[in-house]
Amino acid sequence: MIFAGLPLSTLLAIAGAAGGLTVLFYILKLRRRPVPVPFSRIWERVLRDKEATSWWSRLKRLLSLLLQLALLSLLLISLGDPRLAGALVEGRNVVVLVDGSASMKATDVDPSRMGVAQQQVKKLVEGLSGSDRMLIAQMDASVTPLSTMTGETSELKPAVDALRATDTRTDFRRALAFALDSLSGLSKPEIVVVSDGALGDVADAERGLDLSGVNLSFIPVGRGKKNAAITGFSVRRYPLDKARYEVMIEVTNTNEEPVDVELSLLGDGDVVDITRLALGPNERLARFYKDLAGASRTLEAKLALAGGGRDDLPADDHAFALMPERRRARVLVVTAGNTYLEAALLLDEYLEVTTVAPSQYPPSGNFDVTIFDGVAPPPAQGSGGLLYFDVPEEGGPVKRKRRIEMFGFDTWDKKSPLLRWMALGDVQALYGHALEPEKEDRIVGASALGPILVAGRRAGKRFVALGFDPRNSDMVLRVAWPLLVLNVINDFVEEDTSYVSSFATGDVWMIPAPSGAESATLKTPEARTLTVPVKEGRAVYFGTQAGFYELTVETDQQPVTSAFAANLVSLEESRIEPVTELTLAGKALGPPSGFNPGVRRELWLYLLLAALLVSGIEWFTYHRRLTV
Amino acid sequence: MGVLDVFKKATAPVSRRFGLTRPERAELFDEDFQKKLETLAIVSRRVFAGRMRAERRTKKKGSGIEFADHRDYAPGDDFRYVDWNVYQRFGRLLVRLYEEEEDLSVYFIVDCSTSMGFGDGRKFDQARRLCAALAYVALANLDRVTIVSATDSIVARMPTTRGKGRIFKVFDFLRRAEPSGVTDLQDSLKTFVAQHKRRGLAVLISDLYDPAGFEQGINVLRYNKFEPYVLHIVDPQEAKPALRGDVRIYDCETGDEREVTVTPKLLERMERAWNEYLLDVERFCTSRQVPYFVADVDTPFDELVLSVFRRGGFLR
Repeated sequence: MIFAGLPLSTLLAIAGAAGGLTVLFYILKLRRRPVPVPFSRIWERVLRDKEATSWWSRLKRLLSLLLQLALLSLLLISLGDPRLAGALVEGRNVVVLVDGSASMKATDVDPSRMGVAQQQVKKLVEGLSGSDRMLIAQMDASVTPLSTMTGETSELKPAVDALRATDTRTDFRRALAFALDSLSGLSKPEIVVVSDGALGDVADAERGLDLSGVNLSFIPVGRGKKNAAITGFSVRRYPLDKARYEVMIEVTNTNEEPVDVELSLLGDGDVVDITRLALGPNERLARFYKDLAGASRTLEAKLALAGGGRDDLPADDHAFALMPERRRARVLVVTAGNTYLEAALLLDEYLEVTTVAPSQYPPSGNFDVTIFDGVAPPPAQGSGGLLYFDVPEEGGPVKRKRRIEMFGFDTWDKKSPLLRWMALGDVQALYGHALEPEKEDRIVGASALGPILVAGRRAGKRFVALGFDPRNSDMVLRVAWPLLVLNVINDFVEEDTSYVSSFATGDVWMIPAPSGAESATLKTPEARTLTVPVKEGRAVYFGTQAGFYELTVETDQQPVTSAFAANLVSLEESRIEPVTELTLAGKALGPPSGFNPGVRRELWLYLLLAALLVSGIEWFTYHRRLTV
Repeated sequence: MGVLDVFKKATAPVSRRFGLTRPERAELFDEDFQKKLETLAIVSRRVFAGRMRAERRTKKKGSGIEFADHRDYAPGDDFRYVDWNVYQRFGRLLVRLYEEEEDLSVYFIVDCSTSMGFGDGRKFDQARRLCAALAYVALANLDRVTIVSATDSIVARMPTTRGKGRIFKVFDFLRRAEPSGVTDLQDSLKTFVAQHKRRGLAVLISDLYDPAGFEQGINVLRYNKFEPYVLHIVDPQEAKPALRGDVRIYDCETGDEREVTVTPKLLERMERAWNEYLLDVERFCTSRQVPYFVADVDTPFDELVLSVFRRGGFLR
C-alpha cells in the first residue's frame, strides 16, 4: 500500500500533534459546572456506593480515549489517501467520445439517443476504479472536452449532464485526433466511442492516425430508423422581377418503407403552401414553388408524417431560409437622351432612376450606379459603379484602340454574371471602337477585331465599358439589351451576389458585415446573445444550431442589423439507422470492459466510513453515559 | 369577630398593612389563605369538640374545680380548702387538692436555614403557611402561641400571644422571616429551651437537613420535657434533580464541594437515598413516640393541616 495523499512525514507530524492534544484533553479536566444542592450528605451517601465501581469508570474512560485515538488514526490515514500499490499502477486513462451530432436527437429510444448515451456514460463513470481517470468529450463538427482527465466522479457527472446534441455532422477524424493527443504519454490509454454510428467515412477518419496501443471500444445507441427529412431548402428572387421568388425543397425518405408526408411552407410564420407527398423507400424528391409573391422575409419548411405522427428525428423536419431585403437601387443616367436606355431601366421597378444632361453632371446625392452614355466626365464622389456606353476618346476608364466597323460579339465570357441569360452571337454593330484594356481589366466580350466589352476597377471604383453605341447596333432590339443593363446594375449593387439563403450548421460561417467593425453581436435562435469577431467585413462564427440568427454591428452612424438562417440539411445525419458495430484499426469494436459499478478501490472512502462509524459509537456511548 | 371580619373592614391590601414590599411575600398570606384558615378553625372545633378545647389539665395541683386528692394540713394552708367532713369523721385535718387548669403553650420552631429556601423557595413558603394555619387554630383555642425562627441559633422570636385576633402578628413575623444560614438544630434548640421555661408543645417545622444530624435537635426537646411534634417539609423534586453530565455540586449551606458525573443510574440511586433519609427520620420519631408528619410542598396546606388534625397529637 502506498499513500497518494499527504506525505508520510506530514501525516506522522499531524498524528503526533493531534494525538498529543487528544491525550492532553483527556488528562486535563474541564472546570465543572458548579451546581448547588440542598443537602450534600445525601449525595455523599450515594457517591460512597459509586466509588466502589470507580475502577470500571476509569476503564470506560480509557476506552473512550482509545476510541478517540482510533478515530483520529482513521482520519489521518484518510488524509494520506492510501491505495493499493497495484491499483495505482494499473490505472487506465479513458477518453469517452460522445456523439453530439444531429442524429443523436432521435427519439427512437427513451428519452432520446443523447439521453441514453448520457446514461451509458454515467455507468462508465460509476464503474471507474480508484486509479482510473477519464475525460469526457462531445464530438460534433468540433470536439468539446467537458472535463479534465480526472478520477473524480464529482467532476465527471456534471460533464455528462452537460452533453447536448447539436444540429451538426460529426467530425470523427478530429475527435479521434483529439483523443489520441489527450492520451499521449499516458498509461493504459483507452477510447470509448458512444454513438449511433453516423460518423461518416470511418476508414477515412482513421487514416493517418496511429491507434495501435489504444484500447478501443464502442457503445452503440439507437434502435429505429424511421425518418423523413428536409435535405435541401433554398430560395431565390427572380432576376428580372425581384418582387417574386421561387423556393426549392428537397425531401428524402431514409426509410426502407414508403411514407406519406405533409410538407408545409411558411412565410413569416404564415402558411404559404401545404403539400402532401408520397415518398418511396429511400426516395429523394425535390419540389419547386415557383412564382411566389409577397413580402415574406423569413421562410420555413416543415415536414410531418401524413398521419399526424412524428418520425424518429424531428431535428431535420424543420428548415429555415431568409430572403435578402429588396431595396431600390439608385441609378444616375448621364445622357443627352436615349430612349432605349430609358426603356431598359423601366423594366425593373426597384430602380430609382435619375437622368441628367452631361452639362449638369454631377448632380447632388449618392448613387449605386452611374451610366455614362457617350460621355466620360470625371466621376464624382458617390457615383457607385460606372457603366460606359460608347467610351469617348478622352476621360474614359479604358482607351480606344481603333475604330472598327461591321462587327459583333465573337467571344464572350459565358460565366460572367454580366452576361447571364444572354445570347450575344447575333448582335451586329455598325461601327464602334476596339478597347485597350489595362493589365488588371477583364475582357467580357470581344469581336474578332478587338475587345468591345471590358470590366475592371479604377481608383477603387468598378466599371464596365462598351466600345460602341448600342443605338448603332441591333442590340437595342434584342432581349440582350435590357439584360445587359440590369445584369450590370445587379453586379454593381451586389444584391444578388451577396445573397445567402442559409448557412449550413457545423461550418464556420463568414457572415457579411459592415467593414470597419471589429466585433458584432449575434443573437442565436435560443435568444442567447454572443459577441463574435469581424474580420475583413465578415463576422466569423462556428454555428451548431439551426434557425434564424440576427447579427448587429455597431457602426459610426447607427447599429446595422442583418438576419440570416442556418440549416441542418445533411442527408448523412438524416440517415439515422444505428450501426451496431464499429470497425476501427481493422477490428470490430466491442463494448467497454472493466467498468463495474459500485466498486471503488479507494481505501480512503472505507476508512472515512469507519471513522464515521467510530464517531457514531462514541457519540452514542457519550450521550448514554457509557464511556464517562 | 373572626379574622375574615377584620379583613372585610380592611381597605388596604395585606402586604401594605404589614409594610411588606416584596410581592412574593405579599401573596403568602392572601385573602384566600385567610378564608381557609377560618374554615380550618371551624372544622377543628366541630371534629374535635369536647376534647380539643384549649383547657388542659396539668399535673400541678391547685385551684381548679375538679377534686384530685387530700394531704395533711400544714400551717399556712388556706383554711378554705380544709375538708371538714373528713375531720368530723376521722379527726384528721386534711386539705383538699384540686387539679389546677392552665392554658397550653404551643411553640412553633420554623427552620429558616438556606436549604429551606432552596430552589424556588417552595419549602419555606409551605412551612410558613403551615405554621400560620396551625398557629391560628391554636390561637382560636385560646392557647399561648410562640413562634421562633431557627438556623444554628434562634434568629427571631415572636412573643407569646393568645387569641385569634393576634394572627396578624403571626403573619407579620412569618413574612419577615428569610431563609438564610446553616442548620444546627441541636444548638438552636438548646437556646430555645433555655429561653422558654414554660414547657409545652414544640412544633418543629423543618426539612431536617442538619449536617450534624436531626436526631440531636429533637432529643434536646425531648430531654427538656417539651412535647416535640415534627412537621417534615419535603420537596420531591430534590429527589430527582435535573442534572446531567459532569458537575461540581456544593452544599447550599455549608459550601462543601464534590465533583460528580451525573448519570441516569446515579439519579436513581439519589432518589433511593433520599427516600431512605425520609424513612430514617420517620423511624427515629416513631421509635421515640414523637409525632411525625411529612408535609409535601405539592400538597395544599389546608389538606395538610386537616391531616395533622386527624393524625392527632397536635392538640389534646
